[in-house]
Amino acid sequence: MKLEIGEIVENRQITSDLWDVMLRAPQIAREAKPGQFLHVRVSNGVDPLLRRPMSFYRIGSDTVDLLVRDAGRGSKAIIGKGVGDTLDLMGPLGNGFSIHPTSRHLLMIGGGSGVGPLVALSEVAVSQGLSVVMLLGFRSADRVYPSELLSPEVEYYVATDDGSAGHHGFVTDLVSDYLGWADSLYGCGPRAMFLSLLKVARGVNLQKSVQLSMEENMACGVGACFGCVVENRRGEMKSVCQDGPVFEMRDLVWG
Amino acid sequence: MGRYSKCGIWCGDEMAADLSVELAPGKKEGLLLRNPVMVASGCFGWGTEYSSLIDIQQLGAILSKGTTLRPRKGNEMPRLVETPAGMLNAIGLQNIGVRKVIAEKAPVWATWRVPVLVNVAGEDVDEYCRCAQMLDGVQGVAGIELNVSCPNVRAGGAVFACDPYAAAEVTAAVRRCTTLPLMVKLSPNVGDIVAIALAVEEAGADCISLINTLVGMKIDIIKRRPYLGNVTGGLSGPAVRPVAVRMVYQVAQAVSIPVVGLGGIASTDDALEFIMAGASAIQVGTALFVDPSLPLRIVEELASFLERGGFSSIGELVGAANSHFKGGSSL
Repeated sequence: MKLEIGEIVENRQITSDLWDVMLRAPQIAREAKPGQFLHVRVSNGVDPLLRRPMSFYRIGSDTVDLLVRDAGRGSKAIIGKGVGDTLDLMGPLGNGFSIHPTSRHLLMIGGGSGVGPLVALSEVAVSQGLSVVMLLGFRSADRVYPSELLSPEVEYYVATDDGSAGHHGFVTDLVSDYLGWADSLYGCGPRAMFLSLLKVARGVNLQKSVQLSMEENMACGVGACFGCVVENRRGEMKSVCQDGPVFEMRDLVWG
Repeated sequence: MGRYSKCGIWCGDEMAADLSVELAPGKKEGLLLRNPVMVASGCFGWGTEYSSLIDIQQLGAILSKGTTLRPRKGNEMPRLVETPAGMLNAIGLQNIGVRKVIAEKAPVWATWRVPVLVNVAGEDVDEYCRCAQMLDGVQGVAGIELNVSCPNVRAGGAVFACDPYAAAEVTAAVRRCTTLPLMVKLSPNVGDIVAIALAVEEAGADCISLINTLVGMKIDIIKRRPYLGNVTGGLSGPAVRPVAVRMVYQVAQAVSIPVVGLGGIASTDDALEFIMAGASAIQVGTALFVDPSLPLRIVEELASFLERGGFSSIGELVGAANSHFKGGSSL
């Protein structure tokens, strides 16, 4: 984990609400893994006060990209920056995704800004010769992540809430077709999506690994404040920032 | 740490401005800090979480996460939300319990040069006492910060912070249970902070820290309900600083034991405000989340502030603003 000042080398809008922000941060890039995140300071003053957790979207040799969704004051401050501007970064933080050595077929399910870490994971998987199916859900066609930005080897399907692109409905409606094929599943998105995925998995008594990257408000980012916690099946409170953000679905209490 | 003087001559430690501060002058063993910059309870975990980011040994002292007799799971999520120049939190004293602190954390602290004080919270006087008793004599524990002011749980002791008699009762009881230096952390959610401060001083506190968080609330207007799982939470960060400075100013005039100031400190200038209001030392809390290197920068910048002003010790600045005191203990 490092404190590093990252210089923005590219800031590009890719859908109506997603920006690709590329930062030169060699120390962080060297250590970064898909599923890990940066804690980004968004203001030099005291308002907005807290850092924002942002997962790695692409990991280069001396750069990292963040996929930033225009969702609030913090993200607005980041996407408003220009090339040459800097951001105060802390990271890489958290555990990241893991790919089991016997896994050949990876099923990735995501929505909204949850796309970022899954794209990072898909790049690693494809480079290892693994097969990836990516199922992503969005509100409408203007928000759909462009397929040309994914590795050509990735099989990609879309669902939209309003039916303006792909399947009309939840992304999790598409999951059951691939449950037999997949060796392991990966998810990143809102809690409602996880609950819907949980229902699908329980419906077929799924025994396969399902790794979920959790999103929570965070303060410290290093497991010191216990502001972002989830409860596991052993009754332990785990910090999303330090013990996660990636958890095995079956290890958590879903209430 | 030595430094070059203006004429380029190497000066040893004895020439540099003295940042050290004694927080338990009434005790034989005392509680001597190398500098007046501590990290506040709940914001620095057990100290180990930040050790790869900053040189924690250079801190004045570390205040541990709030510790209770038995382990606690804490409150429902969401536990925190950002507010203008601050944040609300309702963690609910999630902690591993005093036995595990003694078994797992204290042995690590014992190898450190920086003193660690354990922040102790409880539900009743007996719980506070048993916790304090167990910590007495444990290697690596330099003192106790008595948390009679956590606003987020019934067990947080806030009930003790609101009434001078209750505050005195728990302080006196803990004082009898331990020989450790005893700092009592006060709540700002009271009518007359000076009355509480005088009561805990009388009851045997070695020093007083203030302020804990201000009780606040945020509504989720989409869901039309309170945002936090606990409904209310504690407000911290720069937004609360003027309230904290005022309370430190009032308390420091009234008591004769050292006062430790905290509440929204985010720069060296902020720290100096507290010191000039009468704080012998300060704690950095919420700002750590934004800038973990801030406390060490404050240490350096305090030293150069003293040097520039021709002061030989930080003590010369403590209460520098107090001559303007207008008297009175409440607003």
